Amino acid sequence: MSTPDTHAGYHDEGSYLSGPPGMVARIWQWASTVDHKKIGVMYLFAVLFMFFLGGMSAIAVRYELLDPIRTVTTEALVGDEIVTTTVTTGESLKELLGVVGIGDDLTGSQIYNRAFTLHGAIMVFMFIIPAIPAALGNFFLPIMLGAKDVAFPRLNLMSWYIYLFGCTFGISSILLGGVDTGWTFYTPYSTTADADHWRVVLMVMAAFILGFSSILTGLNFVVTVHKLRAPGMGWFDMPLMIWALYATSIIQVLATPVIGITLLLLMFERLFHIGIFDPSMGGDPVLYQHFFWFYSHPVVYVMILPGMGIISEVLAVHARKHIFGYRAIAFSSLGIAGVSFLVWGHHIFTAMGELAAILFSGLTFLVAIPTAIKMFNWIATLYKSSIVINTPMMYSLMFLFTFAIGGLTGLPLATLATDLHLHDSYYVVAHFHYVMMGGTVIAFMSGLHHWWPKMFGKMYNEKGAMLAMVIVFIGFNLTFFTQFFLGTQGMPRRYANYVDEFQFLHQVSSVGALLLLVGFLIHAAVFIFSLLWGEKAPANPWGGLTLEWECESPPIEHNFHKEPILTHGPYDFDTVLPPHCDLKDYPLPENPGKH
Amino acid sequence: MTMLTLASGQPDILQEIFFGAKPAPSEAAAWSDGLFLMITWFSIICFVILMALMVYFVIKYRRRPGVPAQQSPHHNLLIEILWTVVPSSSMLVMFIYGFQGYAAKMVMPDDAMELRIQGSKWAWIATYPNGATSPEMQAISKVTLDDATSTTVTQGKQYPIFYVPEGTDIKLRMYSIDVIHSFWIPEFRTKMDVVPNRYTGFGFSTPKLTVNDSFVHQETGELMYGRDMWIFCAEYCGDDHSRMAATLRIVPQEIYDQKMKDWAEVLPPKEAGEKIWKQICASCHQIDGTRLVGPTWNSVENADGQFGYGYDAALEDGTSVLRDENYYRESILDPNAKVVKGFAPAMASYQGILTDEDINNVIAFIQSLSDRNPNAGEETETNTEAESDTEPGSDS
Repeated sequence: MSTPDTHAGYHDEGSYLSGPPGMVARIWQWASTVDHKKIGVMYLFAVLFMFFLGGMSAIAVRYELLDPIRTVTTEALVGDEIVTTTVTTGESLKELLGVVGIGDDLTGSQIYNRAFTLHGAIMVFMFIIPAIPAALGNFFLPIMLGAKDVAFPRLNLMSWYIYLFGCTFGISSILLGGVDTGWTFYTPYSTTADADHWRVVLMVMAAFILGFSSILTGLNFVVTVHKLRAPGMGWFDMPLMIWALYATSIIQVLATPVIGITLLLLMFERLFHIGIFDPSMGGDPVLYQHFFWFYSHPVVYVMILPGMGIISEVLAVHARKHIFGYRAIAFSSLGIAGVSFLVWGHHIFTAMGELAAILFSGLTFLVAIPTAIKMFNWIATLYKSSIVINTPMMYSLMFLFTFAIGGLTGLPLATLATDLHLHDSYYVVAHFHYVMMGGTVIAFMSGLHHWWPKMFGKMYNEKGAMLAMVIVFIGFNLTFFTQFFLGTQGMPRRYANYVDEFQFLHQVSSVGALLLLVGFLIHAAVFIFSLLWGEKAPANPWGGLTLEWECESPPIEHNFHKEPILTHGPYDFDTVLPPHCDLKDYPLPENPGKH
Repeated sequence: MTMLTLASGQPDILQEIFFGAKPAPSEAAAWSDGLFLMITWFSIICFVILMALMVYFVIKYRRRPGVPAQQSPHHNLLIEILWTVVPSSSMLVMFIYGFQGYAAKMVMPDDAMELRIQGSKWAWIATYPNGATSPEMQAISKVTLDDATSTTVTQGKQYPIFYVPEGTDIKLRMYSIDVIHSFWIPEFRTKMDVVPNRYTGFGFSTPKLTVNDSFVHQETGELMYGRDMWIFCAEYCGDDHSRMAATLRIVPQEIYDQKMKDWAEVLPPKEAGEKIWKQICASCHQIDGTRLVGPTWNSVENADGQFGYGYDAALEDGTSVLRDENYYRESILDPNAKVVKGFAPAMASYQGILTDEDINNVIAFIQSLSDRNPNAGEETETNTEAESDTEPGSDS
C-alpha cells in the first residue's frame, strides 16, 4: 500500500485540520489535497449547502400550496352598466417573487413547476446521492478499514472536482431561469417543450457529469475495500457500514453508466432531433422511462444502503451490543443491491403491458424481504443491551420509526390493484419522503452527530441537538403523514393547484415543513457553535470499537501513528475494552460468552 | 373475495379516513379499497409490534453506570427463518390479490361501451360511439359569496363534462397528441398513462344511481339527479398540468341518450368552430384580448401588438403577414412556420387530429371574432349570440 505523500515535511503527526500559515496557503492546501478526510469534509459542506438550497425550494413548494389558485369575479352595477372585476388569488409564490421583481413573465403554475423541479433535481443529484458515501464514506471508509487513504487518492480529488463542475451546471440552469421538467426529465415533454431548450440541456448535462463523480467514487471504494483492509481484517470482520458502502459502490459502478447513456441520448434528441424517444420521429417515449428507471431504481438503494450502514454502527455503539445477525445484514445489503436491478418497472406500472406489470410486481415484493430482515435485526440488537439516549441514538431510533412507515406504505404500491390508484398521487410523494428523508436524511443526521466529534475534534451541545431532533421529528411527520391521506383521496402530485377539499391537509403539511426548517436551522446553529466554541472531543466519546475510534480526534494526517492490526471484531463489546476508555465507564460482563 | 368485500361493505374508520365517506362506486374499486385496507391493517399490526418492542427495549435496557449489557445470542436460526418466511408469505398473498384486482380494473366485457379519450396540453376530449363530443363545461368549483354584488369564486378553468349512463360497463381507449398524460378517476381508483402514438386503456362499471345521488348545476344552481366525479391528469405535462381536469357525470340512461342525440346534430360552422375552440384551443388562446401561451383570437390592439382576422401579424423575424384563411390553416397544421413576435413556438401540429372540416369551422369562428369578419352580414344574429356566450370571466 502506498499513498502519494504530497505533504511530506510538515505536520505529518499533527491533526489533518492543521495546515500552513496564511490564508492562500491554507486554501491551496485544501484545494489540492488528496487526503480523503479533507475531501470528505469539503463534500460534507457542499452537500449541506445543497440540502439547504433543496430545502428552501421545498419550502417554496409548500408555501404555494397553502392556498389553491382561485378566481374571484365581482359584478357591480356602476351607473347603469355592469362592471366585472376579476382577481386571481392564491398565486403565493408569484406574489412573493413579484416583490423582488422576478418572474413577472411567468404564471403562478410555471413558477411552481420550476420550484418543484429544482427541489427534486438538487435533492437527488446534488444532495442525497453523494451525501453519505462521498462525505461520511470518504472520511470513514479508509479509517474504518485501517488504511491511510483510499486506493486512488488523486482519483478521489478528481471525483470532488467533477462533482463541483456538475453542480455549477445545475445551478447555472437555475440562475438562467429554471427548468420545469421534473427531476425525471420524462420524454417527450423534456425534448419538445420549447421554452426551456437550453436550460433542460444544462440540467441534464449536470446530472450526466455528476454521474461520473459517482462512478469514480464507487470504483475507488470497491478497490479500497478489496485491497486496503488492515492486517487481520477478513470480510466478516468489517464494520457493517463498510458492507453497506461496498454494496452501494457496486450499484454506482454498474448502474450509473446506463443513466449516462440515457441522458446523452436525451441531449442528442433535444439538440439534433434524432428520434429515439419522440413518437413523431418514430421513437418510443416509454423507452426513456425504462432506461431512466433502470438506473434510478438501483440508485434508490445508493441513497438508502449507506444510511442503513450508519444505523448498524450507531445502534451497536450506543447500545453496547453486537449486531444481531451480522451476516444476515451483510448479505441482505448485497441481496438488495442485486435485486434492485430487477424492479425498475414498478415506477411505470401505468405505462406498460399487463404481463410486464405482473412480473415487476412480483419482483418488487422480493426486494422488500431483505429490508424487512434488516429491520428485525436492528430491533433484536436492542435486546439485553445497554442503551444511552443521545442525539445519534435518538436519530437512529427515529430512523426505525420513520423508515418502518416508509417501507410498509410501499406494500400497496407494489400491489398492482392498489398502485393503479396511488401511482403519481401524493401517497407516493409521502411514501418516498418517508424512505428518502425519514430513511436516508435521518440516518445521515444520526451519523453526522455520531462522527462529528471525530471529524472536527469538538463536541456539540447535546441539549441543543436533542431539541432540534424533536422539532425535526414532529415537523417531518406533520409534513408527510398528511400526504398519505391527500393521495388516497385523489390529489395528484406535481400540482400547483388543487380542489378546495384538500386545503386543510395541505396547510397542515406546510406548517410541518416550516417546523422542519426551524429544526434544521437549530441543528446548523449547534454545529457552528460546536466548531467555534465546542469542548474538545475525547478520542473515543461513545466507547466505539471500530478502528476510527483508535485514532485521535480529529485524526492525524495519515490517520494512524502506525498501521493498525485488527485483534477483535467491530462489535465485541462483551469482551473488549474500547480504546482510550476506562473500564469504569464501560464495564465488561463477568462471564463473557454465556447467556 | 369474501374478506375483501367485508372490509369495504361496512365502511370502517380507516376506510373513511383514507377514501372519504362516499362508498366506492364499483365492485373493482371496492375490491381495491378492501385490499388497501387489508395491507394497511397488516402494516399497522407489524408497525405497532416493532415499535412497542423498540420502546420496551429502550426503557428496560437503558444504560446504568457501571452495569454492563447482559449477554445475548449473536443469532438465532429459528427466529430468523420465522421472520423471513412470515413476511414472504404475507407478501405472496398481497401479490396474488393485487393481480386479481388489477385484472378486474383492466378487463371489461366485450360488449362494454367504448369511450375514446384524447389528451393534449391541457385538455381532455371524450368521443362517444356515435362520434359526438361533449360541449358542456364547468369549473372545478364555483361559489357565489355575495348575491347582491354577485361575487363568485371559481377554481381552475372551464373543464368538459363527460356524461356516462348509469349501470354500464365502460372501457376507455386513450391516446395523446403531444406529451404523456395520465387519466385518473380517483373515485374508480384507477389511472392509466395516456401516451402518444399508442392506445392505452382501462375499464370501469358505473354504479346504479341511488336517491341520494345529486349534483348542483353550476350555471343554474339547480339540484340535479346524477353523480359527478373528478378526472385529473396525473402525469406531469407542463405549465397547466394542475389545470387539466374534467368531470365524469353519471346520469340515467334516458338523459344520456338525449344528450347523445343533441350532440350528434350538425352545428353551423361558426358554432362547430367555437366548440372545438372550447375543447382544444381555449387552454392557450383567449378570445377577449387576454394573453395566454398563445395570442388572442379577437381583433384587438394591445401592448403585444395587433391581433385578429384580417389584420397583419408581426413575426419574430421582423416581417409581417396578413392573417387570412391560409395563415390560420398553416398555423394549425404547421404552427412553428410563422410565430407571432413575442410568443414562444410552443404549439404542436394538429395535422391528422383536426379534419379539413374542423379547420374550416375553426376559421369561421375566428372570422366571427374580428371586426373585419367577411361573413358578418350573413350571420348577424348568431354573431351576437356567440359574443354573449363567451363573456370574459366565464373562462379564467
